[in-house]
Amino acid sequence: MIGTLTTGFGVWNPLVWLCVIAVALLFSWIIWRCGESDYDEDTEQTASYLSGNAEPAKGAVHVRAGNMYWGFTAALKSYYDKLIPLHSGIVNDYVSWFLIGVVVLFVAVILL
Amino acid sequence: MKMTTSLNRSLWVFHFNSGSCNGCDIEIVATLTPRYDPERFGVKLVGSPRHADVLLVTGPVTNQMADRLRLVYAQMPGPKLVMVVGTCGQSGGVFSTSYNLAGPIDQIIPVDVYVPGCAPRPEAIIQGVVTAIAKLERLQGDGEA
Repeated sequence: MIGTLTTGFGVWNPLVWLCVIAVALLFSWIIWRCGESDYDEDTEQTASYLSGNAEPAKGAVHVRAGNMYWGFTAALKSYYDKLIPLHSGIVNDYVSWFLIGVVVLFVAVILL
Repeated sequence: MKMTTSLNRSLWVFHFNSGSCNGCDIEIVATLTPRYDPERFGVKLVGSPRHADVLLVTGPVTNQMADRLRLVYAQMPGPKLVMVVGTCGQSGGVFSTSYNLAGPIDQIIPVDVYVPGCAPRPEAIIQGVVTAIAKLERLQGDGEA
């Protein structure tokens, strides 16, 4: 179980991996020990530094996915300004738009 | 002051402009130039109060900056010192009768070292840092935070 597995591509030994993890943890602990130990827990000393400004609530600094394409919506603002009011969320409105579209299509087909 | 002790913990300084005209700030930058080079003693400006031993404040503290100054001071780990650079921070200076003043600085947070001048020369600022080192060592010796 803890023996060395030798394949045609390399060597696997769990003990070696355990040693690597132990050494990494040791280094992590040494670095942590070198850190500042004078902080008082649950005070401003452990809060994020934001140039002296109070840290806003997590929800207040949420970056929406829409921020990814704000330039796109800004460039098409005149289009969205007309389109968004049409999204009333009422099914009757959408069916009405569909019927009007169908009527316009039929009329166009008949006339042409 | 034992030099060996001071070298055990070099002073890291956080600079806070509470409404200064920038004259003192320019002198602080001049202090950091190779002509004076305090970094050879480990004295340097840091970007966060959480890493600093000394809060170096310039300006008379405007109303907008008072709460921010309190918060920055609260975010420093102890033992910590506050060093005021310039006349405005001590008395308000030419801004002392301004409607927009919450300071001087010692009315907002406790001050340990004053460096007077408008603006003080780099030599005076270095003298203030040396005074701060001596006081910090005294605080550490007393076990104060």
